[in-house]
Amino acid sequence: MMDLKLAPSFSVIALNAQRSLHMTTVKKVSLRCMAAAVILELYLEGCFTQSENKLTLPKEGFDQVHSALYRETVLQPLLHKHAEVKGDLNWWVKKASMLSNKQLKKFETAISDDLKAMDLLEDIPSLLGSDMYFDTAEVEVRAYRSNMEAYSSITENIRAEILEEGSVTDEVICMLWLLRECGCMHDFFSLNEIEKVNIKLHDLYQSNVWAKALLPIQIRHGIELGIKRFLELKTKFAKTFIGSSINLLFPALEPSRAVFIETESWFDNSNQRLDAVITRLLSYGHEVKVMERGSIATLKIDNLLYDAIPHFVMMKVPIQGVRLVPKRPL
Amino acid sequence: MSRQRSMENILASEYVSIGELVRITNSRYSTLKHYTEEGMLPFEQAEENLTRRYKREETVVRILWIKEMKTNGLSIPQIKEALGMN
Repeated sequence: MMDLKLAPSFSVIALNAQRSLHMTTVKKVSLRCMAAAVILELYLEGCFTQSENKLTLPKEGFDQVHSALYRETVLQPLLHKHAEVKGDLNWWVKKASMLSNKQLKKFETAISDDLKAMDLLEDIPSLLGSDMYFDTAEVEVRAYRSNMEAYSSITENIRAEILEEGSVTDEVICMLWLLRECGCMHDFFSLNEIEKVNIKLHDLYQSNVWAKALLPIQIRHGIELGIKRFLELKTKFAKTFIGSSINLLFPALEPSRAVFIETESWFDNSNQRLDAVITRLLSYGHEVKVMERGSIATLKIDNLLYDAIPHFVMMKVPIQGVRLVPKRPL
Repeated sequence: MSRQRSMENILASEYVSIGELVRITNSRYSTLKHYTEEGMLPFEQAEENLTRRYKREETVVRILWIKEMKTNGLSIPQIKEALGMN
């Protein structure tokens, strides 16, 4: 297990399962928090000089910034051509979180390249890209996948520190703040645990100088966070029994949970149809294993189980194929 | 301000926290918490509200041993028996 700085460490969590080629609203929320994490990382490393609550990045700080490209991509837009910029912590993190789409994309490329070089992040084809509608529209869909060992080590360490008795390190306070601003608390803590975390953060706010400075700062964008929550609710609904049945009838509701793979021709038996689907999935670069054959086959695609439900869509002519629906737990 | 220890420092220290054990053994926090509550991982704690400290070397060996027994299909009571706790 290697030591990671704050921004790469948070990025391993924040980029996992995000689309890599498109700037979705959900990814934008993550990137804004990742950019803020760069400022916190520099602050924790003592790159800023502080006078009367104002933080300045001196010459030595610049040298440390240039040591990593992802830091440079966040700080260059903030500094413009000024030799020195002054502001309190609130100003710095807010400015970093308000980078334009173009600047965020540049930052994403820099940090994802770093993580890929360390084998902590992969760029894999998303199953949604194999959907007939996406494929024929030539929309390529790829997604980030974090190294699961690193992901679990980072998240479990946060959980251990905040849920246990005793002191909490500055890095974990930063991580919790970033998770809160990213709207991800519910992904890592149960409702009961969130109550415990709240109490602990409240105590930290009263007793810890760093927590007192950081926790009141808010960088979240209401509309973006609202859209993220709505999409999460939609996905959650599509995972229920009723939701998945409705989604099968109206796949536009949650296309990723009812991917349509068409077959080249009409087949009169399920085995031929399944073989045609497998050939097509393999050609898109997915790993496919047949778990169970039959009229509704079970496939393991990139380590996830799917039911392949025979289906057809009406265009000028009917097109035969299967809908891949994530298998519900028994 | 209290900073997170580097992996080098953790691996050189005699005592570690549960968060650090999570990092060095790649285990889930809830798993180690459960083992601690079952008495399978001995710890020291100066006062009730202070951090629990585990002896690094012997606890890591114990966690790896427990993991191996779990892989071999032993249940928690059987593992406790193997650890000489019953």
